[in-house]
Amino acid sequence: MTDSTRDQLQDGSYEFLAIFLEGLPFIFLGTLVSGFLGTYLPRNAFEKILPKNPILAIMASGLLGAVFPVCECAVVPVIRRLVKNGFPVSCALAYMLAAPIFNPVTAISTFKAFNDSYFVVGARLGMGYLIAVLVGIAILRVAHGRFLKPSAQAESGHEHHHPRNLNSAMNNSLRDFMDVGLYFTIGVILTSLLKTTWIDPTTDFWKGLTDNSILATPAMMGLAFFLSLCSTSDAFIAANIGNFSYAPKLAFMVFGPMMDAKLLFLYSTVFRWKFIIILLAALFVLTGGLSILAETVYENYWESAQP
Amino acid sequence: MMSALHTRLFGLLALCWGCALIYFYHSQRIQDYLAKDFHTLVLAGGIGIIVLGLYSLINPQEKKSSCDHEHKHDHDHHHDHDHHHDHEGHLHDHDHGEEEHCGDCDHEHEGHGPVATYLLTLVPLIVAMNYTQDKLSNRGMAKKGLYEAPALNGLDAPAAFTREDLEKRVPKNEEGEFQLQLFAAYWAAGDREVQSIYEGLPVELEGRVAPEKIGNEAGDRMRIFRKIMSCCAADAQFVGVSMEFPDDAKRPAVDEWVKASGILTFETIDNKILPLLKVRVVIPTEEPYSEFLLRQ
Repeated sequence: MTDSTRDQLQDGSYEFLAIFLEGLPFIFLGTLVSGFLGTYLPRNAFEKILPKNPILAIMASGLLGAVFPVCECAVVPVIRRLVKNGFPVSCALAYMLAAPIFNPVTAISTFKAFNDSYFVVGARLGMGYLIAVLVGIAILRVAHGRFLKPSAQAESGHEHHHPRNLNSAMNNSLRDFMDVGLYFTIGVILTSLLKTTWIDPTTDFWKGLTDNSILATPAMMGLAFFLSLCSTSDAFIAANIGNFSYAPKLAFMVFGPMMDAKLLFLYSTVFRWKFIIILLAALFVLTGGLSILAETVYENYWESAQP
Repeated sequence: MMSALHTRLFGLLALCWGCALIYFYHSQRIQDYLAKDFHTLVLAGGIGIIVLGLYSLINPQEKKSSCDHEHKHDHDHHHDHDHHHDHEGHLHDHDHGEEEHCGDCDHEHEGHGPVATYLLTLVPLIVAMNYTQDKLSNRGMAKKGLYEAPALNGLDAPAAFTREDLEKRVPKNEEGEFQLQLFAAYWAAGDREVQSIYEGLPVELEGRVAPEKIGNEAGDRMRIFRKIMSCCAADAQFVGVSMEFPDDAKRPAVDEWVKASGILTFETIDNKILPLLKVRVVIPTEEPYSEFLLRQ
């Protein structure tokens, strides 16, 4: 084995364990919640809580992360079970995409990373929320079967008398944990491999992008995709990754929590692959476009956020 | 559908995952991977996963009678929601007459068998635990900024920092040298105001030693560095300061923990401003409880 191969194996193992150890408790928490929700939450319970107007319901769902803050790993099994229990899919999608960004923990870490800048926090949370709501609205009229996996679709109108006991909740949790844990592990393997073999933010390629927001923005979203960072910590990386301007850093912080290599596999426990690819493309275009637009409009505010 | 055997096998796998978390926590190897805030979470998660695994081993399947609803609905029934419901591949086509009834009957008959799940989850975990050194190689650290100049918009850089602030906040050693945090010396290179205060300052820096790859044509340099981590080692960044040794100075070994004293200055290489410590003396020191500088 060459030194280079040995280094890559060592680094890949280290990266894998770091993400695995950090993410697994959150996956467990998410699946535990999902298992108990699936057992004890009455079907269509959310119909009574959410606004009747579907767009208002999507907008309200996008704000749920502020009340129930969950990271991007834990939210997937939760929404999967909520959808099965009749939570509108468009609302679930809005919650899933917004929650990792629109929550107090992410807000505080972004605030600290960007020199106590309310502007950057507002821009990040606002854009994350806006995109999540837009995606939710976009799928409002699409037949669920076209993007939901069969196993994730809501049970149809007939009433099931499922046992509401601990056994059922624990069995649901275990099954969800195994399903989601498997895809999570595959995602972490892919991320670790890419990070140790291909992704290197210190190369001249990245440094050469610092003066060009149009090229740097998609490049930074690509980097966020492959790095698969936690939304609570990615602001520290964005702040220090190089002398990029506003748009690339904002795009990095908005796109990453919504779509990355490990999430790709986690999402596949809920959505069909074709839809995931379309979602990836839509998020990429929306985030990139809005980030560049925001940089153009709010350049002066961004300058004031610099130390 | 999960048979009792599958449930037990999955329960056993959950037990393995939980034990892995507990092992990393108990052996304190966890501190090489996660920020301190997450250690308790790993412990709690490990215990919870073990409980789930044990529960599933003991109670692998619900009683058949627990799922006694009638499955006589036909699939042309009218749904009470207004969207089109795509039944292509929908799992309502399972055979309800089968003898071995599903455990909690939530119509989720898709999933992966235990063999695939074991192979794709447990094998990578074992391989990673076998090959990890609980740290990155020099190549890995270089990819995370070990030899990079600080970004101009550095992390939480202090505003309007003065010499008086320095005197108030930073303790001195017996030699009268400022015991400066290594990251402060590093980020000063990205802030002209702070840089002007630190220029020529006698300092003592604590960190681990790496070979120097920048400005080391004469072979008289090494690098002192620390790690910064917000959540896990995957988001870790490395910050380093070049150490220039006088000819007669004893050199530390690579990976050794040291306290390096000398004069802090700044140099420009390839249009980048980098911190440089002109070493007076380097002494070995104990590795701190956690190598990571934690979230600010």
